[in-house]
Amino acid sequence: MVPEQDVLTISTIWSQLARRAAQDKSLHLADLFASDKDRFERFSLSGAGLLADFSKQRLTDESRDLLVKLADERQLKHWVDALFGGAEVNCTEGRSAKHWCLREPADKAPLVHEQLSRMESMVNRILQGHWRGVQGDAITDVVNVGVGGSDLGPLMAAFALQSSQPPQGQSRPRLHFASSMDGSQVSQVLQELNPRTTLFLVSSKSFTTVDTLHNANTARQWLARGLGLDYDDASLLRCHFIGISANAERMSEWGIVPTNQLLFWEWVGGRYSLWSAIGMPIALTVGMDGFREMLAGAHEMDQHCRTQPWRDNIPVMLALVDVWNINFLDIRARAVLPYDGRLKHLPAYLEQLEMESNGKSVSRSGEPVEYDTCPVIWGEVGPNAQHAFFQLLHQGTQAIACEFLMTARRYTEDEHSESVCELECQHALSNANCLAQSRLLALGERALDPSLALPAYKRYHGNQPSTTLVLDELSPRVLGTLLAMYEHKVFVQAVIWGINPFDQWGVEMGKVIATDMLAVLADPESATGLDASSMALARYVANKQRSS
Amino acid sequence: MQITVYGDTLCAQVTATAMAQTGHRVCWVVQEARSREKLEEGRPLFREQGLDRVFAEQLESGRLVACFRGDALPAPAEAVFLALSPGDEDWSLEIIQQIAGNAECQLVINQTVGPVGAAERLRDQLREAGSGAALVALPDLIQEGNAFQTFTRPESILLGCEQGEGEAQVRELLRPFNRRKDVIQVMTLREAEFAKLAISGILATRISFMNDMANLSESLGVDIDAVRVAMGADSRIGESYLYPGCGFGGAGLDRNVLALVDALSERSAEPGLLAQVLQTNERQKEVLFRKFWQYFEGNVTGKRVAIWGAAFKPGTRRVDNAPALKLIEALWAQGVEVAVHDPKALPALQAWAEGRGELQLCDDPYEAVAGSDALMLVTEWKLYWGPDWRRLRAAMRQPLILDGRNIYDPDFVRGQGLVYRGIGRV
Repeated sequence: MVPEQDVLTISTIWSQLARRAAQDKSLHLADLFASDKDRFERFSLSGAGLLADFSKQRLTDESRDLLVKLADERQLKHWVDALFGGAEVNCTEGRSAKHWCLREPADKAPLVHEQLSRMESMVNRILQGHWRGVQGDAITDVVNVGVGGSDLGPLMAAFALQSSQPPQGQSRPRLHFASSMDGSQVSQVLQELNPRTTLFLVSSKSFTTVDTLHNANTARQWLARGLGLDYDDASLLRCHFIGISANAERMSEWGIVPTNQLLFWEWVGGRYSLWSAIGMPIALTVGMDGFREMLAGAHEMDQHCRTQPWRDNIPVMLALVDVWNINFLDIRARAVLPYDGRLKHLPAYLEQLEMESNGKSVSRSGEPVEYDTCPVIWGEVGPNAQHAFFQLLHQGTQAIACEFLMTARRYTEDEHSESVCELECQHALSNANCLAQSRLLALGERALDPSLALPAYKRYHGNQPSTTLVLDELSPRVLGTLLAMYEHKVFVQAVIWGINPFDQWGVEMGKVIATDMLAVLADPESATGLDASSMALARYVANKQRSS
Repeated sequence: MQITVYGDTLCAQVTATAMAQTGHRVCWVVQEARSREKLEEGRPLFREQGLDRVFAEQLESGRLVACFRGDALPAPAEAVFLALSPGDEDWSLEIIQQIAGNAECQLVINQTVGPVGAAERLRDQLREAGSGAALVALPDLIQEGNAFQTFTRPESILLGCEQGEGEAQVRELLRPFNRRKDVIQVMTLREAEFAKLAISGILATRISFMNDMANLSESLGVDIDAVRVAMGADSRIGESYLYPGCGFGGAGLDRNVLALVDALSERSAEPGLLAQVLQTNERQKEVLFRKFWQYFEGNVTGKRVAIWGAAFKPGTRRVDNAPALKLIEALWAQGVEVAVHDPKALPALQAWAEGRGELQLCDDPYEAVAGSDALMLVTEWKLYWGPDWRRLRAAMRQPLILDGRNIYDPDFVRGQGLVYRGIGRV
C-alpha cells in the first residue's frame, strides 16, 4: 500500500518552482497587497473553528498552483490514503502510524475506546475525590512523570485548557509535570506536596526511558519514606501510581499493578500520543467529556485532510507554503508566535513535533537528500517575544517565516467575574499587537506614514512572510483540530521531501554514549579513546566534585 | 397581643409555639406546599422532644392557628416575626407590603438568617413602603435538638435595634423568657447579626481545632479524651465544643460560617482561618472512611458497612450536610455496601439517597450490623451508648468498631473481643 516512488527527483515542476521563485524575488508583499484587493479571499482557508490566512506569504497564484501540482506529483493522495489505511508508513521501524485512529468513533476503534473508558473511570474517580491514597485520603495533586511526547503534549494542552471548566461537581487536582533527567523538577514538586494525597502518572511508551524511570524511582522512594512504607509495598503502588505505556510487561516489572495500567500501541508515535491515555492530564483538566471533545475536533481535521482538495486543505496548504519558503525562498527558520498566553507551551510542543519528525537528511530509500528539510523552529508567547527577539525579525539579516496565532473569543466563560472587562481589554490589546506585528513584518515601513523621513536605523524593510491562524476560541474541540492540523502538515511535508517523519534515530545514539560517559565521570583516568575535549571536561567536572 | 409569625423554619415553629404558650394569639404563616399539608392535618413541621406536646396544646387551645401564604389573616397583627428560609426574598417583599397596609402593626422582629446588613435593608424597605413599625433583629440562637428549651430558657438574647426603637415592645414580648436575670444584650442591627455569625464561627473553629488535635494525638500515642478534659478544666477555655469527632453538619452552622467566609472574601479580607476550619471539617467527615480503608489496606470493594446515626446531630430528623452523607458517598464510590440505622432521620436520608445509590435502611440497629465488616458510629443518639456487645460480635463479619463520637470505652470494647478505633484515642 505504501507508494513506491519516494525519492524527490528534481522534476519539471520543481524547476518551474525554482524559476518562479527567482522571478518573484523582487516582489514585495506590500506590492502584492497593493495590486491585489482579493488577496485575502484567495489565500485564506477556514473550517472546523479555524481560519488560516496565507495572504501575507510571498505567494502568487502561479506559485500556489505549482505547489499544488508538486503535491500531486509527489503522490500525496496515495500517501494520505496509505497513512489513513494503516500501511507501514514508518518504513525504518516497520510500523504504521495510526495516531488518527485514536480519534475514530467507537465502532471503528473498539480497542481504543476500551482504553478510553478505563481511563474515564480513573479520571472520574480522581475528579470526584474518590481515588484514595494508602491512608484513605482523597488525591489532591497529580504528578505527570514523563519526557518528550509523554510530557510536551499533555503539558501544552492541559495548560492551554485551564480556563475550561471540568464538569459540575468535579474538582480538578493540581497538576505537576516532572520531566528533566537531573531531578530538578521532581525535587521541586516533591518539596511542596503531601505524599498522602499525591498520585503519580508514569508515562513512557517503552517504559524504559531512563529520564522517566529515574524520576519515578525518586517519587517512589519519597512516598515510601513519607508514608512509612516499604519501597515495594503493594498498597503504595496500588494507591499512588498509574502507568501509561505500550509495554504492559515492563510496567508490571516496575511495579504498576495491572488495574492501574493504561495501554496504547506501537503504532502511536510518542510525539503523536497525547490523544491516547498519555493525555490523561488533559482529561484531568477538562474532564472526560472535554477530552472526547478534543478527540472529536481532531477527527474533524482528519476528515478535512482526507477529503478536501489540496488547495482548500488547511494542513496541505500550510505544508506547501512551508516548502515554498524553505526550498525556494531560502528561509531557514520559522517563529511560532501565539498571542494567547494559554498557548505558552505550544512552541516547545511544535519544536518536537516538527523537528523530531522532519529533521532528517536521508530519503525513504536511504539516499541523502539534496535539499533542505525541516527548518529551525522556535517561539514564544507573542507579546513577550516582542520584547525579546522581534528586533531580529524586523531589522536583522535573516529571512524568517512567522506563524501568528490568535483567539477570536475569550473571557466569555465567567461572565459574573468583575475583572472580566479589564481582561477583555487585555485580550483586545494582545490581538491588536498580533495584527500590528504581522502587518509591519509584511509591509515594512510602507505600513507607516509615507511622509516620515526615517534614518537608516529606523527603517523597516518588511517582506517577512507570515501565516496567521485564528482560533474561534480556545476550546478543547478547537485545540484538537489545531493539533491534528499540525500533525498532518508535518506528514505532508515529509511526503514532499520523501523522508520518514515517524522515526527518530538521531536521538538514539546519544543515549548509548551517555551510559559509557557515566563510567568516565566515575573514573576519568580509566577512559580510553576519548577525544581531548570530552576527556578534559569529564576530568574537570570530576575534580570539582571531589574537591567540594 | 395579636402576633403573626412567618416562615417554614424551625425557628418560626418554636417562636409561634412559645408566643402562644405565653398567652398571645398567634397566626403562623407558611408557604411551602409540604408545610401546608402537615399543618392542615394538625402536625408540626419539625418534631423534637419537648416541642411536640406544647405545639399540639397550643393548636388545641386555639391561640395558635396556621395560615398559608396568600390567605387572609384572621386579625391584623400588632407584632410580626420574620423567620424565613434564606433566599425567600420575594416573600419578604410581599410581607413588607402587607405590614405597610396594616396600621396596627408597631413592631417587626427579624429572625431570618442573612448577611450582615440584611436587617438594615428590611428597615429601609419598610420605611419606603410607608410603614411606621419599628424593626429589630433577634438573631436565631436556637440549638436544633433542644430548640424549645433554648428559646424559652436562653443563656443570652442578642437584640439589635436602632436608637432604642422597638426595644420596649420586644422586652415585653420576651419577658416570660427573661426572668431569672436580664440576658438581653442590646446592640445595633448590624452588631447583632455579626455577633450571631461570629458565635457560629468560633464554635466551628473549636471543633475543627479539636479534630486537628485528635489527628495529632493519634500519631503521638496520646488519648485526646484526657487532653480534652484537661483543657475544659481551664476556665478561660470551658468545656463545651471541645469534642473531637467525625465532623459537624447541619444547615445552620455550616451556613453561618460560610456567610462569614463570604463576608470576609467580599471585603477582600483573608478568610484563611475560617476557610481552613471548614476544609478541616469536610476532611473530618471522611475520617471514619480513612480508618476503615487503612484497616483493610485499601481492599474494601465488596465489603459491607453498618452506620449508626445519619442525623447531623442527635435529636433532629434532618441530614443537611451531615457527616454520614459524605461518608456514604465515599463508601459507595469504592463499591462498599451500606446499611444504616437511625431512630428519626431515615426518611430524610432516603430522600437524599434517591437517585444517588443503594442504601439498606434498617429499623433495628442490629439488623444493620448483620454481616458487616465494620460498624461506624456517626450520630451519638442515646440508644447507641450501651450496645449489646456480645450480640454485635456475633452479628458482624469483622469485629471492627469505628467510634466517630468517642462514646465508648476503648478498653472495655476491646475486652469484648472487638477491634476499637476512636477519634484521637489510643
